[in-house]
Amino acid sequence: MNRALPEILQCSDMTVLERQRARLKWQQEQFQQHQQESYFSELSGVFSSQTGHVQGFRQGDLMSCGGAAGGGDSVLSDVVMTRQLKPDPGLETAWPELGKVDMGAMGFGPCGYGNGQSFDMNQAISRTSSCPPAVAAAEVKGNLEKMGLAVERDSLKKRKVEKLQNSKVVAEDDSKRIKASEEEESKITGPNTRKSSNNKKETYGDTSKENSKVSDVQKPDYIHVRARRGQATDSHSLAERVRREKISERMKYLQDLVPGCNKITGKAGMLDEIINYVQSLQRQVEFLSMKLATVNPRLNFDIDNLYAKDVFPYCTTNFPTVGNMAQELANHPPYVQFNPFQQVVSGCGVEMGINSTEMALQRTISAPVSIPDTSFLNTSCFTGMQQIQPSAAWDAELQNLYNVAFTGSIEGSDLKMEM
Amino acid sequence: MPLSSLKPKMRPHSSLKQEFLKKWIMGLQRCSFSKKNMSILERKKAIKFSADIAMASARNGTTCWSRSLISNASKEGSDIHVVEQILGSESDRPAVENKVPTRRASVCKKIVKRSCRIRRRRRRRKCVASAPSSIAKHLVRKRREVLKSLIPGGEFMNEICLIEETLDYITSLRVQVDVMRSLASASVRASE
Repeated sequence: MNRALPEILQCSDMTVLERQRARLKWQQEQFQQHQQESYFSELSGVFSSQTGHVQGFRQGDLMSCGGAAGGGDSVLSDVVMTRQLKPDPGLETAWPELGKVDMGAMGFGPCGYGNGQSFDMNQAISRTSSCPPAVAAAEVKGNLEKMGLAVERDSLKKRKVEKLQNSKVVAEDDSKRIKASEEEESKITGPNTRKSSNNKKETYGDTSKENSKVSDVQKPDYIHVRARRGQATDSHSLAERVRREKISERMKYLQDLVPGCNKITGKAGMLDEIINYVQSLQRQVEFLSMKLATVNPRLNFDIDNLYAKDVFPYCTTNFPTVGNMAQELANHPPYVQFNPFQQVVSGCGVEMGINSTEMALQRTISAPVSIPDTSFLNTSCFTGMQQIQPSAAWDAELQNLYNVAFTGSIEGSDLKMEM
Repeated sequence: MPLSSLKPKMRPHSSLKQEFLKKWIMGLQRCSFSKKNMSILERKKAIKFSADIAMASARNGTTCWSRSLISNASKEGSDIHVVEQILGSESDRPAVENKVPTRRASVCKKIVKRSCRIRRRRRRRKCVASAPSSIAKHLVRKRREVLKSLIPGGEFMNEICLIEETLDYITSLRVQVDVMRSLASASVRASE
């Protein structure tokens, strides 16, 4: 049975599931066989003991393992194998890093194959590595430490792996493993799986990067997910984890977009900020539309005339560039903006919720709102008379647009829409 | 919705503003043509309405919030000509598209409301868990509901979609605010 696995793996008749099951069986057998072998004492100087646990394996982890070796934290380098055995090359490349740590000649077999559903995580504390027999044979000679990596975080979502590719990859991985000279060692003191922190967590992005690095043979058309250390491996929790990662990724974008969100880390707090921001923007729209309604009693926005005017000192303060931003925003625009409106509003006697608190809110908000808008504002002044950064193309085009719109309108020759 | 469109500064904002402005003015023309002597509130409503529709149409139906905004606007018969004006020649296509989702959406809405009611009843029976994680989840859930109420068409979105839509909605609102503000200031300046 020991030798049977690679042949089975390379057999292309098997479905992926069967292959996994076979791997798992083989691995379990390996575990049982080598359970008595313990070479931990040799590594006691290198690693301190730590209960066994399965974890995702990646380069960063290995580095931290290497770094922590001195500190005494041992890490069980379990590999979460996806069906395409991506982590192997990842491991392989990371092993040279471990070379810095003096570990003795131990071969490491990162074979965490298996079927997630059928394998109980808690038994995964095996000390032996489920290496393919070829590797085992090569490395058992000396002081070989077999790590039990009976982890099946079978974390693939879609299972469309081509069998040919699989077999190719298996062959590649075997050869790579034989080359590997470093290994990771950890002491497994018992059947307690201690859940470590999430430092071994591998994101989808990382796996995909490794994917692209690893082999050109594979064309993954499924999502690779690595389960966290000590977490359940069933598909539901994995799917949920992927979903959570997606959400956090998008929240990061929101953090950039919404001003003042950088300091807040919690989801609830960020959502709060986002809600406040959206509400303030909506209120601003209301406010501005009211202002436009009062300023323009006939709904005729005479863009041509607005363009024609030469002097817009108001604009310069209203649309400062990045250079003048800080000072100008701090002082002028909100006030200048609101004073005339206040007069107009008081004249009209319009009740719209424009009260002092709203004004104050506008004042405080327009400053932070505008600051991230520098990218918007650089070419945004459509009056065209921006002293700072005239954007000729934008203005000319806009004028053309309006000429077309005006002349092509139902009113015919009348340029202004009058009530 | 493609994530690339969410990355900050990927869209040319100036072109977005141009598009918005053009459509908005078109809509306003249409509004003012039909009604004479509008009161200030009516004017304000017209302005805001045209602005919203213009903003939504600038998305060309790629986002959920824009579609739902347009479909909600199309329901009222009075202002539908404004919508048509803004949407231009595509007015037939989006209208047809929007009818089907609104029916399905209303059914979905009922289902969602029913399930929310059931969940709420169940929650009341259960004693409030004191575990901090559940409290945190509760808080997040509440805020998510608030956010859903803010974004047009938000009740039908799952969480991932909601955040994407929020991103897009925020950028659109910003563009809207910028353009309106500059127009307002220019008008104020011009009238002085």
